[in-house]
Amino acid sequence: MLQQRLMAPLRVLERAIVPSLRSSQPISRPPPPSILSRTNTSASTPFLNRLLPFSQVRHASHATQGTANRHSRDPAGKRLGAKRTTGEYVVPGCIIFRQRGTKWFPGENCALGRDHTIYATEAGYVRYYLDPERHPDRKYIGVCFEKDGKLPTPRNAPTRRKLNRVAVPRLDDAPTPIAGQSDLVATIDNGTMVSSVEAVNAGSGSQLRPGYMYREANWQIGRAAEKAGITAKPYNPKNRWLAWRKRQARAERAAQMKSLKNKKKASKKGKGGR
Amino acid sequence: MAHCERAAKPLLQCLQKSYPRALPTLQVQSTRAFQTTALAREEAQAEPKSQPFHKTPDPALVSSPRLERRLLRQGISPIGSRRRRAALQSSPNVPFEQLPYQCFQEARKVLLADREEKLKEIVSMREKIARLQAVPAEEAGGEQVKKSRLVAMELHLERLKILADINDPLVKKKFEDGQGDMSKPIYRYLADKKWREYRRKILVQRITQMKVIPDVLPHCDPVVDTKLYFGRSPVQPGEFVNSRVSTSAPKLDVQLFERGEKLVTIAVVDSDVPNVEKDGFDYRMHYLAVNVPISAVSTKVDLSKLSSESQVVLPWLPPVAQKGSPYHRLSVFVMEQKDSKPLDFAAVKAKETTRDNKLLRTLQARYHLKAIGAHLFRTEWDSTMAEVMKENGYAEVDMELRRKRVEPLPYKRRNPSTFR
Repeated sequence: MLQQRLMAPLRVLERAIVPSLRSSQPISRPPPPSILSRTNTSASTPFLNRLLPFSQVRHASHATQGTANRHSRDPAGKRLGAKRTTGEYVVPGCIIFRQRGTKWFPGENCALGRDHTIYATEAGYVRYYLDPERHPDRKYIGVCFEKDGKLPTPRNAPTRRKLNRVAVPRLDDAPTPIAGQSDLVATIDNGTMVSSVEAVNAGSGSQLRPGYMYREANWQIGRAAEKAGITAKPYNPKNRWLAWRKRQARAERAAQMKSLKNKKKASKKGKGGR
Repeated sequence: MAHCERAAKPLLQCLQKSYPRALPTLQVQSTRAFQTTALAREEAQAEPKSQPFHKTPDPALVSSPRLERRLLRQGISPIGSRRRRAALQSSPNVPFEQLPYQCFQEARKVLLADREEKLKEIVSMREKIARLQAVPAEEAGGEQVKKSRLVAMELHLERLKILADINDPLVKKKFEDGQGDMSKPIYRYLADKKWREYRRKILVQRITQMKVIPDVLPHCDPVVDTKLYFGRSPVQPGEFVNSRVSTSAPKLDVQLFERGEKLVTIAVVDSDVPNVEKDGFDYRMHYLAVNVPISAVSTKVDLSKLSSESQVVLPWLPPVAQKGSPYHRLSVFVMEQKDSKPLDFAAVKAKETTRDNKLLRTLQARYHLKAIGAHLFRTEWDSTMAEVMKENGYAEVDMELRRKRVEPLPYKRRNPSTFR
């Protein structure tokens, strides 16, 4: 390595020096064919010692220093793996398997979480299985309703599902009139809701509100337009004339704002220039 | 100028350049056949128009959106693209065969020669089939051999019929303009190809992803294009339909891509009827009609207008979804009757009286049916559902389904010695 790199400068040196060396050496010893082939000769060593620091090489064995204690930098374990085994009872949301990537896929009544965690969507018993009809290589985790049921179910069989619901008397969708007229919602010790107590002259005047301010209730402010008899036209998507006018007005306003902005900038610049 | 007209301008200029009236010297020299057409066109121009265009817009020429809309309101859809219509408005109406392009005419000659060849092959194939049919089975090498050979030859004949016309630009144009005659094999073939390219894929995806296929029937390979309409609005496969809209029976448009007439059974099944006692789901048959004739040319089937004496076994029952229940899948199946033979209506009517828990699988096995078309729509609780349920006498209208609370697993400390 070292010799090869030094080859070119040394050849130049050789050309310059060898004749003088030859003359200095005793005639009885035959002259060396080249300095390069025998660098350890006494005559060439001082030259080499002087040349070495100019082109030094770091070998690969030096770069690996400092990795002797690699194990100390190993990260903590992430506690991956199976949390529930075959046949264990799980409820919806119960985590069955934590993994990096999809080592296992969610099968029946299971779902895949954001970090590929497999969790149950139904209550039942865990099964680990292969389903070559669905995918030849994938491993699946499923939840079975019966304790001794088998997965996978045949592909052409109707899916088995559970309703998981109870029937209760129906509540109407129509919003019931709000019992309390105030936007204060709190409960006093004896069980009466503050909001259910009718506010004093809520309809007419301002009252003490949270934050120690006298003003109208929020719901009254919201009904100001109704009281004043202002009605908005119902939106008609086919009224393109109105839509055009609105769009135009918006564009005009935007242009106005933009021009104002530009003016400000221009004036600022002008000031800066002065 | 509308953008379509602007887009068509270069095309027009190109056409007008090659148009002989502008170059009288050329007209004298040229010996091509298109002179006659140019004259014909001038005649056409000369005759006065009785009515302005905006009063009676021509569906082949209309290009402004306003007139298009007027046409659509009349029930006529404009033909082709707007760009094409705009280009046609001011182009010399040269018949297709006489377009003045030499290369084009040469290419047409090649296509015509190919067609002649195919027609000859068709004739010879027909003769071959007739000869084979005349030969008794023993000489032809057995009943099976003769039958299979005949079937293969018939298939080849059908293929030849399609190959004869598939390269015809006029056929392609007619098909794309929606004027294809479905009684001809080539248009059926093109329509089938178009359907399989997109709409069938969507349908198959919907019925498999929404699990209609294992839930209602074990298997279905749709071969007829089925469209569903409530009133005049089409329903995409799997769309949610408002309960008020679905109180009246839908219309079907069943496009067959084969020759001949078929008798089909049409069934509409709800596979998500909640059953609280069982903690599961039931089936309900919302409609069943047998012996419905369909063919490639008569595609419209109005479920409310089928005859109740000879076809409708179970009349339309409006689909409903109880409040709080998961969405209901209403799957429509068009099922071919075996050998297109009519079923005994009276016997079917006597047997199939109940709607609840009637499985389509059972019917399929009992009457030897084969599903050839499918469609799907969904219903869920909406604002009009309560009224619809009351009108149709559903008892569950006053009840609502709520999620059952699942008891959490008891907290268990695992291997406490390591947690110290």
